[in-house]
Amino acid sequence: MELRYFILRRLLLLIPTVLGLSIFMFILIEAVPKAILVTPYINPHSRIPYIIQEANALKILGFNYPPPIAYLFYLDRLLHGNLGLMSMPGYPNSVAAAIVDAFPNTIQLTIFASLLSIAIAIPLGTYIGARPNSIADQAGRVFSLTGYAIPAFWLALMLQIVFGKNILLGNPLGVLPFSGSFSASAIPNPTPSWFVNGITYPTHLVIFDALIHGDFPLFVDALKHIILPVLTLTYGILAGILRFMRAGMVDASNQEYVKTARSKGVPEKLVIKRHIRKNAMIPTITVMGLLVAGLLGGVVLVEYVFAYPGMGYLTTQGILSYQIWLVIGTTLIFGLILVLTNLIVDVVYALTDPRIRY
Amino acid sequence: MATESNVGGSILKAQPVKHRPRVEDFKSTFKLFIKNRLAFVGFVIVLIYFTITILDYVYPSYLGVKDINTIASWVPQLSSGVPSGPTLSHGWWYIFGETLYFAPIFPVMLAALKTDITYSILIVLTGALIGIILGTMSGYFGKLYDEVLMRVTDIFFSVPTLVLAIAVTVVLGKSLQNVVIALIIIWWPIYARLTRGVSLSIKSNKFIEAATAAGSSGLRNVFVHILPNVLSVVFVQFSLDLGSIIQLFAALDFIGFNEGSPLLPELGNMLTWGTSYLVSGIWWPIVIPGIFLLIFTVAINLMGDGLRDVLDPKLRR
Amino acid sequence: MMQNTEGKKSESETYLRVEKLKTQFFTARGIVKALDEIDLTIRKGEIYGLVGESGCGKSVTAQSIMYLVPDPPGRIVSGKIYVGNVNILTGLEQLAKITVKSETNVKIKRNKRMIKRHNYLLSRIRGDRISMIFQEPTLALNPVIRVGDQIAENILLHLKVDMANAILRREMSTRKDYESFVQKALSIGDKDARNKAIREWCESYSISDAEELVRNIFLTYQDPETVVKSIEFIVNERKSGTNINRLSRAREYYLYQQRLFEATLNLMEAESGKNQDEIDRARTALNEIKKEGSSFLSFRIINKFIGKRIEAPLRDAAKRRVHELLNLVNIAEPERTALSYPHELSGGMQQRVMIAMALASNPQMLIADEPTTALDVTTQAQILDLIRNLNRQMGSSVLFITHDLAVIAQMCNRVGVMYAGNIVEEADVNTIFDNPKHPYTIGLLKALPRADRIAGKMVKLETVAGSVPNLITPPTGCRFHPRCKFKMDICEKKKPELDDLGDGHKVACWLYQEPGGSGK
Repeated sequence: MELRYFILRRLLLLIPTVLGLSIFMFILIEAVPKAILVTPYINPHSRIPYIIQEANALKILGFNYPPPIAYLFYLDRLLHGNLGLMSMPGYPNSVAAAIVDAFPNTIQLTIFASLLSIAIAIPLGTYIGARPNSIADQAGRVFSLTGYAIPAFWLALMLQIVFGKNILLGNPLGVLPFSGSFSASAIPNPTPSWFVNGITYPTHLVIFDALIHGDFPLFVDALKHIILPVLTLTYGILAGILRFMRAGMVDASNQEYVKTARSKGVPEKLVIKRHIRKNAMIPTITVMGLLVAGLLGGVVLVEYVFAYPGMGYLTTQGILSYQIWLVIGTTLIFGLILVLTNLIVDVVYALTDPRIRY
Repeated sequence: MATESNVGGSILKAQPVKHRPRVEDFKSTFKLFIKNRLAFVGFVIVLIYFTITILDYVYPSYLGVKDINTIASWVPQLSSGVPSGPTLSHGWWYIFGETLYFAPIFPVMLAALKTDITYSILIVLTGALIGIILGTMSGYFGKLYDEVLMRVTDIFFSVPTLVLAIAVTVVLGKSLQNVVIALIIIWWPIYARLTRGVSLSIKSNKFIEAATAAGSSGLRNVFVHILPNVLSVVFVQFSLDLGSIIQLFAALDFIGFNEGSPLLPELGNMLTWGTSYLVSGIWWPIVIPGIFLLIFTVAINLMGDGLRDVLDPKLRR
Repeated sequence: MMQNTEGKKSESETYLRVEKLKTQFFTARGIVKALDEIDLTIRKGEIYGLVGESGCGKSVTAQSIMYLVPDPPGRIVSGKIYVGNVNILTGLEQLAKITVKSETNVKIKRNKRMIKRHNYLLSRIRGDRISMIFQEPTLALNPVIRVGDQIAENILLHLKVDMANAILRREMSTRKDYESFVQKALSIGDKDARNKAIREWCESYSISDAEELVRNIFLTYQDPETVVKSIEFIVNERKSGTNINRLSRAREYYLYQQRLFEATLNLMEAESGKNQDEIDRARTALNEIKKEGSSFLSFRIINKFIGKRIEAPLRDAAKRRVHELLNLVNIAEPERTALSYPHELSGGMQQRVMIAMALASNPQMLIADEPTTALDVTTQAQILDLIRNLNRQMGSSVLFITHDLAVIAQMCNRVGVMYAGNIVEEADVNTIFDNPKHPYTIGLLKALPRADRIAGKMVKLETVAGSVPNLITPPTGCRFHPRCKFKMDICEKKKPELDDLGDGHKVACWLYQEPGGSGK
């Protein structure tokens, strides 16, 4: 009951944040020369003169009004799911459409990386945190510090060199594909109806669509393509969770209630599992939002290096051909993802820590 | 047990002690810092990197690498076709092999470290300065000012840093100078938040109350009492951020903001050059600069952790 | 105020015996000699008070008895602690090798295998035979676990066999069982004795929630036939249709675990005895029992998967016991309280929960380490009353630690006065207050504000001059000598033994004994 109100209140608080985000995006758009903004709205092959087309586009976008009014135009477009236009060969004209195609891939990478890192970091952190200053602890410390310090894009390149197929001659580890989300050769011939212009349907995720339509070889191929990007992303976030988990464990082990548990005769294993770990998870959850922010940044770099067709890759393509609407659009979506994640983290935190008042 | 119940007296007595403790026991702090071996090793490595940077400014002719074309034009090319690998037989310039335009990696990389470190320090320093000023004021004056500042920083924190940096740079125009400006724009909120928190907690301390009661003005309080206390916390954050910023700067350059200066010796650029040879199995133009970047970031993290342990035991993790 | 004369049974059985306990802390600044070979015996059913200034080693004593001294930096170096008949420091020297090169350079090499086995021993003793109540209930309760579950944890750890027995008995009980019980109960004339029999019977059938009902039935009806019928109805209503085969298998497994523990304990005791024959015998016995374990393989596998379901009836019983315990410690709404988290309760309630937790598995010995220091005054009195009443009701011994002499006077049968890691005086409570011998005790009592002494005029309270010494470099000989008004030459040179002055009044002071012998 109480939790429902808590979530509702948090959702309401979301509105000003999202509005602020849209204002911020609008300020960025305002800072760009108008000529660049209207470029994708102009058809060079049309017989209508450029000046008239430009004036029309400015009118449609609301830029003939003062900025506050123009912002309302922008907000109205956002609410209708219109993020602007773009013109890049091989992509749809609408930014929103391009993002819809790319979005699932990014989410897939981040979710796989998060799950994998949580699955590794929680037990590992428990183990290490229960043995502070042991050899395992020192090793864990170096491991997580390196994960913090290593540049994601360089790690991606290193993994390509070490595991990439046909990069180093005679490298027994070089077995994995390192570019794109599937191999062109793995597409069944003739191209099935659920495979249009390199996009699969219904989920846009090659892995799941191949499974849904029973194409096992394509599934395996797509799975191979996702390994290296996920591993790269995992290392960074894993390092963060591990660090906080360890600190939380050490901190909780010194608390009085652990003494109480021992005084009750709780076996050592259960003391760690039931009494220490549960408390150590709480600080770890609070930093999860921060880690996700890092993860979303990392995903841009990783998608770029592995040419994985997600939102990050789309953004970098947009940088190269100077697609303002696209870059602002993906930025907004990334922001929304982060805001929503933080909301989820807050709810999970409230669920885990009974001391939180809703 | 005789306890002093004379409240006013004890406050006034406490003030000079709490005022500048860190400056006074700087020596013992440093000793404690050195005791942590890993942190000290990190400190030494960071010092070496800084020395390289400074040397490069003092003796420009020592390397004098403006862009790799210049260096490639006055050094011999070891082989034709592809860059040759690390070798010891052609002097120290070639110990890490060649990269794009057959430029020797080692001197180019030293010049690149100079570029990155200079820009990173510039970014963090400017960002921190803006953040500290805004944050301290907010923590001190509170009310509407504080509310507005917090909402603005909220927006900055609601977008992943790298993505935001991309957006701002694209808006400003794709060039390295604009990357620097964009990073400053997105970096100050971190310091504003940090400083605000610290100054709020200090503000509630007794000694500020006592100073106000003694007739000290608001602005004077900020600069005389709050700033020195904020600085040690900021210093830790500063050292840790240097590691993140250098990564971010290189990353932005790497993903395509090097348009105006594609041949500038810079770590992100160097990795971009390396990727053009990746499929032919030439690994050294990628691996070597990356390792030197990694050593720096690891060292600075070790140092920052160590600093945090000695300067801010409360935040110890 | 001092009414505890009934506890003065001359030489009743001891439950806890501490011999030459020596605990030290190995810090960077030097070795803190926190406990200096103290001896302590606590009899069954008595409340023993340990009093002294802060930093004199009271809490370390309590933590040592529970083997809860934080390690690092602390370790029990030597000594014996008998809880009942088990020495919980069995095999102490095998746990870690301590090499002292200098005060600040100490190498401690821990033997992981031995520590693991010792932990196993401890997990069977702690909570089961001896429990502890901590100073700050707010910190001592786990903030993320419901208090009911925290209490139940203790029950499920130590009372599995009893509960399984009772449940099985209840599920398989027939009319015949009730008849024999009713006959026996009716033959008891004394009301209290009968009620006691009823309580025991209800407990042994795991229907203690029906205790009052049964009592009322006995009061209302005299006709055996009606009573038996009513009881049959009550028990049948409480039968839960538990899977009897599975539960009895589980009980066998728990019994096996108990035998395994006893055999391990025997082996550990034999090993500390250094008698090779005995060690061999104990080892063979242990191996025999370990062999039995193979027959439980399938049960253990099943337990891994549906352990929760197997334990469900036990959990039910534990839950009911939690409610009873909360009732016992005067918590008004046991059901609601059991479901709340520690932070939702007040300090006094939290301490009650702590007490309920400590009592959950019927321990023979309770250690209360300043249980009221963190509470406000009115709550303090309630908690003290509670502890005293429970001690009378359950007959368990209590080691009560406090720095408050008034509390000691209220609560305890016997008192030990600690100073700088030594027990300097020990006597029953009246003797300590009326006829203190040790200069330190005398000083402490003079520092106590007393109505009879002040009577009408302002009297300056005396204090014991000086403060507790630094235990890294404690004073030689008697550790009290730098603060003592009656200091003699010998005090600096030789440590006085705790010597009996008759009637169990023991003092460690050269004023009352001759340096050579052990007379008065």
